[in-house]
Amino acid sequence: MSSNILKTKNINHFYGKDQALNNINIEIKKGEFIAITGESGSGKTTLLSILSTLLKPTNGEVYFDNENFIDIKNLDDFRQKNIGFIFQFHYLINYLNIFENITISQKENSNIKVNELLKSLDISNLRNRYPDEISGGQKQRVAVARALINEPKVVFADEPTGNLDSKNSKNVFEIFKKLSQNGTTIIVATHDKELAQMASRIIEVKDGRVN
Amino acid sequence: MNHALKALKANKLKTILIYTSLVLAITSIFLITSISNGVISMYSSLLKSDGDIIITQAKISDTFFSNVDTKIIEKINKIKDITKTSALIVGASPVEDLPIVAVYGVSKNRITNYKLTSGTYPKNKEVLIGLSVYNSLKNKNQVKIGNEIFSISGVYKSKIGFENGGVVLNLKDASKIFNKSSSMILVNTKLNSNIENIVNQIAKLSNEIEVKSTQNFVDNYNQFKIIKTTSNVIALIAFCMGLLGIVSMMSITINQRKSEFGIKRALGISMKNIINQILLESSILGFVAFISSFFLANLILYIIKNLPSLHGYVSGEITTILSIQVFTASILMAIIGSIIPALNASKTDPVNLISGNRI
Repeated sequence: MSSNILKTKNINHFYGKDQALNNINIEIKKGEFIAITGESGSGKTTLLSILSTLLKPTNGEVYFDNENFIDIKNLDDFRQKNIGFIFQFHYLINYLNIFENITISQKENSNIKVNELLKSLDISNLRNRYPDEISGGQKQRVAVARALINEPKVVFADEPTGNLDSKNSKNVFEIFKKLSQNGTTIIVATHDKELAQMASRIIEVKDGRVN
Repeated sequence: MNHALKALKANKLKTILIYTSLVLAITSIFLITSISNGVISMYSSLLKSDGDIIITQAKISDTFFSNVDTKIIEKINKIKDITKTSALIVGASPVEDLPIVAVYGVSKNRITNYKLTSGTYPKNKEVLIGLSVYNSLKNKNQVKIGNEIFSISGVYKSKIGFENGGVVLNLKDASKIFNKSSSMILVNTKLNSNIENIVNQIAKLSNEIEVKSTQNFVDNYNQFKIIKTTSNVIALIAFCMGLLGIVSMMSITINQRKSEFGIKRALGISMKNIINQILLESSILGFVAFISSFFLANLILYIIKNLPSLHGYVSGEITTILSIQVFTASILMAIIGSIIPALNASKTDPVNLISGNRI
């Protein structure tokens, strides 16, 4: 049995006639902390989108826990159970409080789990506040909590520190490191090479290819 | 539910605009339908108040233009099971400063149907005045109808707005003003008599008359059909206007909330759930707008009914059936109006959230 959580086979992706990804073959093990780096337009966003089921590759195969993406019938349900997302802009919903934002994808809210998460991310005091009442760093921590609430196997983060200062950026990466140590696979797209060094492995994308 | 209410509260301006658009449309539907129903109901009540059978001129679609010779009454009275035959002229004329007032010319055996509040029933050259017309007269002793001066013999009150805002003359006097024998003849029959049989017997008396049971007449009166069709068309236009208002406002709102729907899709919330939330939001608005419109329409109808210048001619009533119909229309309007924006929202591609694209 393979311990790969994610595996791609000969992935190619085209936007019209432009090739964004060229024959990508990567394997990611459970609990790994991967940093995908690359310049703007290198194909890193496309790769992250494909790995996270948001985008279907033009050709090639993607396996999640040995299951081919093509065979997944209900992608919404699959994402809800297996994948967490953190975006550059936190995308918290302003009219919902922090508790409601964190539990938005849950079918049944779990108070205990939310409290544990808030405590582990040191934001317990924000539970009943609204996104416009907290700082940028706190918002990103809430976004991390939202990504983790369903205990996903993989968390994808797209430039999660793009809007944070260096201290908060380092804090977020420290959280990722701790999560990966606890068995959650973390895949982060970042152009910050210094922060990328905190990952257990770096995948560099250049001109649509993985070096 | 909680999320839907919070979303509506968070988008205050758009919520108010959608709500206003709904209230205007629903109130319009309430008003046009209840007023047209009121007109039909008042005229139907007037016709049904006394008479099981109505005789009008043949091949005339409007009772205002009908002319039936009252000489036929003598022949009708000979038919078995007939208890009373009365004649009625229905017309409209300026009375003093009032531009249009309903004028009823009635045979002597019908005049006591009008309940006096003061005075006596009219003799020749006298007139009985409906209370709401009487209140707006400057000269309370005599009135000019057409080119004739009539003394006021008494005042009557009626629950039917058309009567309360009208004047009643003897048939002979009305006949001179409107140059006709009668607009219609109303026939009363004995209880449990065979109306259809009597209708057929009366119809055989002359080729120039049309005879129907009162119920059949009311059900098939062309003017009622025209009023009903017109009100339905106007109500449909109001519905469509409301619908367009919701579609446009919901589209703007949904477009501004695309990031919200994108993140929901990325987190695995299904398209169905997103659509349901938007439909729930619009249904809440539809429900609240219906309640507001119900009270607003009742208030407007009350004001209209009591406007002295209208003499009670315009009187709408919001019945339970109408309320249920309009409630259904309100919820449908809200749901249909938000279906396309909801579908668009559910299709928001979460890929656009990646790499900081604000969608």
